[in-house]
Amino acid sequence: MSDFEPKIIAFLCNWCSYVAADAAGVSRFLQKPNVRVIRVNCSGMVDPTYVLQAFALGADGVIIGGCWPGDCHYISGNIKAMRRAPLLKKLLSELGIEPARFRLEWIAASEPGPYARIMNEMVDEIRSLGPRREMRATA
Amino acid sequence: MKQGANKKKVAVYTATGCRTCEHAMVDLHYEVNPLTHWAEVVFWPYLLGSAWEDLNGEGRVDVCFFAGAVQTADDQAAAVRLRDKSQILVAVGACAAFGGLPGLANLSPAGPEPEAAPEPSPEMPPLPPLLPKVLALGSVVPVDYVVPGCPPTPPLLWAAFQAVAGLGTAPARLGYAASRLPGPVAEALAAGLLPPRGSVFAGDKAVCASCSRVKEEKLFRRVLRPYQAYEESGRCLLEQGLICQGVATREGCGGLCTAVGVPCRGCFGKPPAIVDPGAKMVAAISSTIDSSDAEEIACLAEDFVDLAGTFYRYLLPSQCLLMATPMTVGKHEDHNP
Repeated sequence: MSDFEPKIIAFLCNWCSYVAADAAGVSRFLQKPNVRVIRVNCSGMVDPTYVLQAFALGADGVIIGGCWPGDCHYISGNIKAMRRAPLLKKLLSELGIEPARFRLEWIAASEPGPYARIMNEMVDEIRSLGPRREMRATA
Repeated sequence: MKQGANKKKVAVYTATGCRTCEHAMVDLHYEVNPLTHWAEVVFWPYLLGSAWEDLNGEGRVDVCFFAGAVQTADDQAAAVRLRDKSQILVAVGACAAFGGLPGLANLSPAGPEPEAAPEPSPEMPPLPPLLPKVLALGSVVPVDYVVPGCPPTPPLLWAAFQAVAGLGTAPARLGYAASRLPGPVAEALAAGLLPPRGSVFAGDKAVCASCSRVKEEKLFRRVLRPYQAYEESGRCLLEQGLICQGVATREGCGGLCTAVGVPCRGCFGKPPAIVDPGAKMVAAISSTIDSSDAEEIACLAEDFVDLAGTFYRYLLPSQCLLMATPMTVGKHEDHNP
């Protein structure tokens, strides 16, 4: 087992996923300590720039958590996040960031169990991928 | 107009590039002649056949216009040499300013050195060694001014010439450029002063600000390439499904390409307010996708070809958050190669 500890940035929406994360703690679900949570008002406000910036600053993975489609506090913010994800994932993979390093997940406020499972899953997956590789060595 | 001793000594050089920037300088048409009244070109290998030795006799060069990306050891040596020799160093064109098209080589993983190179001969001189990464000029040596574009448009190039190689007199025929340039640059130019160091000879907003097309509510339905379908309806090209990068590109060109129906390719680099042009383009396109069905959206995303090569076409080595090499900062006097 390597001693690589992935750093994962989680953008969680204030109304669903963040509440789930809170409940997961209160419910004492076992969670790996590699996830850094950033609370945002809506998954729809997570600009692709935020995700790129997170990777540029050294994150090994980025996850966006939002409400299930139809449940968005702002009606359709999560749909906007859903529209961005495939294209962003494609751009990232062309820039040398494997698709598994970026995820968009729907986690309702009532799903602390799934929250803990998804986060632990992602940590394991990225741990097995290892640290990010540079496309080219810096000159 | 003053003549003779007061003439500014000018050098022009292209590193790795197609030399179209040099053609653009000659393409200043009627302005080329007045240019010779106040500028004396002392080094221009492409046009005058100058050799590096020609620089030895000269004292300091006043202004060097440097085009082309830095890809080989020779390019790097040229950049350092010209920086040390010149009072003012201007990066001309997308390659020198941002890394340009040659910069897309950074997307391929660095391979082994090419094997079995032919025996060097006078007809086939050996290739200079490649650097590990293609770089913008500003990542190698400090740059004083930037004239973006592929190639730079004549009005902005002429404005840059007058601003940095002029004799401090009020410039001629600047109406267009002055209206596009950011306030401080235009004011300095009109007053015959040097613009603030680091100025970019282009606008501050995005190309959309000067694009003549009608922008309605955007709904992106499918990806098209310019040859596939183009209807001259005067409507925004992005709305029509063409990947136009005007939203993520610095203005100054006046929307030349979009006016004739060619989607913007982003040769002026990103405007200052945008952090990463690729991310901006992803946001601009995908938040207007006309579907709320995950599978349908994923299918649509599959149709896009070469996103990195499209969104970072001219600027991968300097303006892509994930692949950029930082710019060299500091005044050139502090610079020790």
